[in-house]
Amino acid sequence: MVFAAALVTLALVLAWPVPRLLARMTTFRRAPRAALVVWQSVTIAAVLSALAATPAVLPEIGREALEGPGSARALATGGAILSGLMLARVLVSGHQIGTRLRATRRRHRELVDLLSNAPEVRNEPIDPQLYVLEHATPTAYCVPGLRSRVVLSQGTIDALPPAEVEAVLAHERAHLRERHDLILEFFTVMYTALPPILRSPEALREVQLLAEVLADRSAVKAVGPVVMARAVVAMAESTAPDAAMGAGRSTARIRLDLLHEATRPRILLSLLMFGLAALVLGAPICLVVAGWTTS
Amino acid sequence: MPRSSVTRLGELERAVMEHLWIHGEAGGGSLTVREVYETVGTRRELAYTTVMTVLDRLAKKRLVTQERDGRAYRYSPVGTREELTAQTMRETLGDLEAPDRKGAMLHFLDDASPQEIDDLKAALAEIERRSMTTSGSKSSSVGTRRFRRA
Repeated sequence: MVFAAALVTLALVLAWPVPRLLARMTTFRRAPRAALVVWQSVTIAAVLSALAATPAVLPEIGREALEGPGSARALATGGAILSGLMLARVLVSGHQIGTRLRATRRRHRELVDLLSNAPEVRNEPIDPQLYVLEHATPTAYCVPGLRSRVVLSQGTIDALPPAEVEAVLAHERAHLRERHDLILEFFTVMYTALPPILRSPEALREVQLLAEVLADRSAVKAVGPVVMARAVVAMAESTAPDAAMGAGRSTARIRLDLLHEATRPRILLSLLMFGLAALVLGAPICLVVAGWTTS
Repeated sequence: MPRSSVTRLGELERAVMEHLWIHGEAGGGSLTVREVYETVGTRRELAYTTVMTVLDRLAKKRLVTQERDGRAYRYSPVGTREELTAQTMRETLGDLEAPDRKGAMLHFLDDASPQEIDDLKAALAEIERRSMTTSGSKSSSVGTRRFRRA
C-alpha cells in the first residue's frame, strides 16, 4: 500500500513541480540533446508512476480484497480508476493532436505545392527540395512528416545573403532529419493529457526551445556561429509585428547566446544529465518491483 | 522539373490553376471542364477525363469552387494566386499561438518582437567580435569561405 502511495506521489511530483523546476535550470540548455533526454525521462516516469500505482499493489490487494476489509477493495478500485483515466487521457490526447497536426500539414502541403516556385538565386537553383512562396514577408519553416517540405518566402531569399539562407535551410533540414516534430508531439500530447491545473506551459516552451537550439547547432556545423547569428538577427528584424508573441519572451536572444556553445561539447554536463535521466526513469520501476517483492 | 516530390498529377493541378488564375485576371468568369480541356488539355495532350479528375481534385481540396450549371460544372479559383499565398502565409503565422497549438510547422524564428532588435544586434556584434579574436574564428572563416564560391 505504501508503494502505491509513493508512486502516486512520485507521479504528482514529476508532473507538477519538477517540470517547473527543470524549466528554470537554464544551464541544461548547454547540452540540449541530454536535456531533451532528461525531459523525456521525467515525462515517461510521470506516466509510468501514474499507471503503475495499481499494479504495484496488486499482490497485496489481491489477498486483502479476497479475504480482508472493503477498504482494500476500495483503494484498489480507486487506483485502477486513476490509472485508467490517465491512460484514457493520454490516448485521447494523442489521437486528437495527432490527427489535427497531420490534417494541418496535409492542407498546408497542398497549398505550398500549388503556390510555390522553384527557388533561384542569380538564375541558379538553390535546392530542389525547397519550396518558395511568392511573398515579401520573410519567413522560413518546415512541414514535417513523411512528405516533408522546407518552405521559404521570396522575401527571405531577397533579404538574406546566400550564406545566411543556407544557415536557415540547414536549421530546418536538421529539424526534419532528426524528427524533432515527433519529440515535440510526444511532449504536447503529454502536456494536454495532464489536467490543466497540473500543466506547465514553461516546460513545454523549454522543450520547444531545446529543439531550436539543436537545429541551430546542426546549422552551425555547416556555416559557423557567425553566419548563423547573422541569420537569426536578420530574420528577427524582418518578422511582421503581428507575429510577435509579446515582449520579453523572445527566444532569439537565448539562441544567440547559445550559439557560441555550439562549438564546445559539454561532456561532463551531458554525462550528469544522462545519469539523472536514468535515475528518474528508474524510480518508478524500482518502486513497482519493491512493491511486488515485499508483499 | 527538378523536384522529385511533385507528382505528375501535382504538375497538372498547377497548370490548370495557372490557367484559371490567368483567365480570372483577364476578367473571365468560371470555366467548364470542356473549356479547360480545350486549352490546357489539348496543349498538354491530356484526356478529357484527366482534366475532369484534376478539376474535381482541386474542388475537393477547396482550391476551386464547383458550381452546377445545368448538366455541367463550372469552376473558378477560390482566390487569386496572391490571395491564396497571403492566406497560406497567414496560416503559418497563425500557427504560432498557444504553446499546445504550435507544432504543425516548425518555424525558424517565431517570437522576436521589434523592441528586442537592438538587443539582438548587440549580441550579434559580440559574437562577431569574439569570433575574430579567439580560435573560434577558424570555424566561421570556413563557413564564409564555402560561400564565397557561390
